Amino acid sequence: MSYVEAILNGLMVGGLYGLFGLGLALAFGIMRIVNIAHGEFVVLAAYLGVTLLAVTPLPLPVVVVVVAAAAFALGWALQATMLNRLLGPNPVPAMVVTMGLSIVLRNVLVELYGADIQSIDIGPLQNMGIGFAGLSIGLLPILIFIISVILFIGVNLLLTRTTIGRAFRAAADDHEILETLGFNRRRIYNAALGLAVALSAVAGLLLAMRSSFTPFSGVERLLIAFEVVIIGGLGSLRGCFLGGLFLGVVQVLGLKLYPNAGPLFGHLAFFIVLLVRQSNLGLFLAWGRK
Amino acid sequence: MVAVLDVADVSKRYGAKLVVDKVSLAVSTGECLGIIGPNGAGKTTLFNLLDGSAQSDSGTVNVAGEDISRWPQYRRARLGVGRAYQVPRPFTGLTVYENVLAGIEHSPVAGARPGRRALEVLEKVGLADKRNMIAGRLPLLDRKRLELAKAVSVGSKVLLLDEVAGGLTEGEVFELVEMVIQLKREHAVLWIEHIAHALMAAADRLLVLHFGAKLIEGAPQEVMSAPIVKEVYLGISVDDAAGA
Repeated sequence: MSYVEAILNGLMVGGLYGLFGLGLALAFGIMRIVNIAHGEFVVLAAYLGVTLLAVTPLPLPVVVVVVAAAAFALGWALQATMLNRLLGPNPVPAMVVTMGLSIVLRNVLVELYGADIQSIDIGPLQNMGIGFAGLSIGLLPILIFIISVILFIGVNLLLTRTTIGRAFRAAADDHEILETLGFNRRRIYNAALGLAVALSAVAGLLLAMRSSFTPFSGVERLLIAFEVVIIGGLGSLRGCFLGGLFLGVVQVLGLKLYPNAGPLFGHLAFFIVLLVRQSNLGLFLAWGRK
Repeated sequence: MVAVLDVADVSKRYGAKLVVDKVSLAVSTGECLGIIGPNGAGKTTLFNLLDGSAQSDSGTVNVAGEDISRWPQYRRARLGVGRAYQVPRPFTGLTVYENVLAGIEHSPVAGARPGRRALEVLEKVGLADKRNMIAGRLPLLDRKRLELAKAVSVGSKVLLLDEVAGGLTEGEVFELVEMVIQLKREHAVLWIEHIAHALMAAADRLLVLHFGAKLIEGAPQEVMSAPIVKEVYLGISVDDAAGA
């Protein structure tokens, strides 16, 4: 694998990382909720996908849609029944609740599925690839990247062109005066967490097609999401996307250099970004912010 | 004339302090009720009870015949209660147009073309040419205009204006008064204001709040010349003033 291939592959997986970050960033940007259970939702979606593929005759694309819909409902219900009771200036109660939820989810998954490594079998697509200019790229990563880009564009259109999107942005701006214009704050929040969890779920399913997972993978996914969001800057779609690409490229390049230590390089890069930010030299990163 | 806004005996207590004390008032479409009173008299809290950002402990608030005393804020807004804050609070990340469109989409009089209606409202307050600006970048006067436009966008029935003239130059206050006079044709307007001549020009009646209670209500000239108003407002008794 040449370096060019590595960078391309990094970009492909980076689009997916961007999606992880997007789910987290939406929940934080709109509701100021740090969803600690974000990673578990990602893993839960993967298990749901595995189960649906095993016990129903549904084809993969339909399964993705079903899982996304179920995730939306789950996010909505979580916000409506629990998180809306914790609204206020203090972000800690919601963090504690989602942290508790993450522990519950993790253990339920272990109980149901065991701790074995799982993956989603996508059949012959797994080995298909396209070659050009002497490079060879897997078809699946390309497809996943395209889906990520489409979802980013979709969310951007949603935020800028629709009533609910304007409501999300207004809520992110100033929730105290939200209702003075007739916005129903709680319903907007329900929809926002629904969307955030649905996006995370799709990302989780897509990742499960590329790499394996266990009930304990949630923490790693959450870490990636946090890194993406912090690298890219909160509150910017473009930042999320670029942050994901950056992390993906660093990780895959790192894997190429030291096959045993790929994730380490991602985290190191994140660490360096934090240092650079701290010293106000992060000009190229500021570009990703609004 | 049937009052669009009919408030009966609303009270609000924060701890031991009675902030609004059995206030009753009624305002019809085409009317502007000016509200004055010393700082801490409960004027803004009264508005909070009307628009639903706080719930009253007792008393009723009726808008267009509906008892909305227990309604959440967003439902009151959708019914047609609009509010302009003293310090303008636009949604800073939305464009000027989007700020106004949001309220209109939630209004029962939105009609089939909320976008066109939003432009009409922006034209009324003179912001049509800045509609695509991000609201956070507006200068103060334009923020004040936008605040008014937001209130109008959702407040098809009742407009609550909280010191919207504060911080404006004389010329701008004059413009604002003209705007309010236009607005009251189609709305019931309540206007809290410290700038007396602005209020006198637009209000049909004045209501004075003092320690949360209604001190006096009546025609503007009458109220302003009432001895008791001079006493609470200027903080001196009429006798002292006469003796000085």
